[in-house]
Amino acid sequence: MNKLRLNLRLFFQGAYLSYIALFRWLRPATYVATKVFGPLNQILFFSFLGMYATNSRDPSFFVIGNAVQMTALSGIFGVTMSIGGDRWEGTLPYLFGTPANRMAMIVGRAFFHIFDGMLGVILGFGWGVLLFGLDLSQADPLALIVTILITTISTSGMGLLLGCLSLITRNTFFINNTVYFLLLLFSGANVPLDSLPSMMRMISDYLPLTRGITAARTIIAGGNLTQVLPALANEFLLGVIYIVLGYVMFRWFETQAKRRGTLEAI
Amino acid sequence: MRTWRVMKYLRAIQSAALMTFRQNVFDMFIIFGVLIQPLIIATLALWMIGDRVGETIVFIVVGSGMTGLWTNLLFESGNSITQERWTGTLEMLAATPTPMPVIVFGKNLANVSQSLGSMFVCYSFVSWVFGYQVTIEHPLLFIVSLGMTVIAFVCFGLIIAPIFLLNPSVQRWQNALEYPVYILCGFLFPIALLPGWTTPFSYILPPYWAARALHDASSGGTNTSEIVFSIAMLVVCSLISLIISRTLFRIMLRKVRQDATLGLQ
Repeated sequence: MNKLRLNLRLFFQGAYLSYIALFRWLRPATYVATKVFGPLNQILFFSFLGMYATNSRDPSFFVIGNAVQMTALSGIFGVTMSIGGDRWEGTLPYLFGTPANRMAMIVGRAFFHIFDGMLGVILGFGWGVLLFGLDLSQADPLALIVTILITTISTSGMGLLLGCLSLITRNTFFINNTVYFLLLLFSGANVPLDSLPSMMRMISDYLPLTRGITAARTIIAGGNLTQVLPALANEFLLGVIYIVLGYVMFRWFETQAKRRGTLEAI
Repeated sequence: MRTWRVMKYLRAIQSAALMTFRQNVFDMFIIFGVLIQPLIIATLALWMIGDRVGETIVFIVVGSGMTGLWTNLLFESGNSITQERWTGTLEMLAATPTPMPVIVFGKNLANVSQSLGSMFVCYSFVSWVFGYQVTIEHPLLFIVSLGMTVIAFVCFGLIIAPIFLLNPSVQRWQNALEYPVYILCGFLFPIALLPGWTTPFSYILPPYWAARALHDASSGGTNTSEIVFSIAMLVVCSLISLIISRTLFRIMLRKVRQDATLGLQ
């Protein structure tokens, strides 16, 4: 019981401290530029491109896809930087020196980013309603929130895996940016999944966001939670697999770093 | 200006460009901006356009390449002076007899020339991987437009770099400035899709005239005089950029030399 309490305290303390540590150097203007206007610009660009490409006046497909994709800003960049930050700031040796539960430690790094990511998606929908008249009147709010939550968890799972990669490579931003843009291509945010070649569709199945975006479109079109539950269950399972993979990689890196004395190696 | 001075400045530009190119060539962030991102955007556009892609293929190649040019200008040329502050060499640069704008011009030239790779990569990708035939309708005008685009971008970079250095609060918006230019300058869709009130903003941006000249020269949908007009506008934009940057550099150098505070920010 005592151990559980200790791990919970570690989880929440780690979550809180890593989040404020990440944003400590940010001023509100930076946050607004990155998390408010950045998403707006992405939604505008792909919606106009989509309207031009499809000769259509209804950008809903692209607005929904890119709004849900916003979760990757927190899930990929935020989580990765929270984990990688320990290496850049030189606190990794202290971290590895503690007897703290590693699972609680690394999952805690993603905790606040899940809420931040959800906020980003809601904001994306807000921009969609405000600028493109996105119709949310048919949507079941609870089902939409559940969809956003599960999609954000699965994306953050991938972020944890990438964050652990950032402990062994210098090219974190290259990897993050590439993954973020590939998700734009593979997740169905901008291109209908059935128009992708079968090989790409197969890759899409193993990436977060894919089922979440489809589920969000179904719910906004008037579908209910039962209809999208199987897809969301798969999305959640995928997120858990990514978290476990991230944890395994973290432990492997820790063991190798201690054995070889390469804790701070670049 | 005496010939020897021109030669001296040209040599400084060459050295700065060569040095920057060597620093950049294996920088993974630049490789992402110049190669990976334009390729993904080109692929996205190809699939989004679907069946109509044949008629717009040149537009996609040029537009995707332009995204690489702008992204690299924004992040690399935009930071070309700020990087000197990070490495502690800003004051030394300010003290050299070669004017700082000449050095930054050389750095920007390397950045922008390197970014042209995005256009080449998109062209090769679309031709070889997707098997589309990409034909440039007015090759000569396209080459002239490309040359003027490089000059206009380098000159525009001379405005962005000191602004970012003098106003860290503006630089915080760097990430958010990428897509607005893609949108306002009509890289991948005509600006006619946008609300009318945004058009004046497009007109004051050199990348808009660059995109217009390159799109028109490659697609051939318009007459030659319109392409020449866009090229002339690039010349005007470059001159205006040089005039504005002169003032900005003067303010910046005063801060470096008199206040001695710029390196501390």
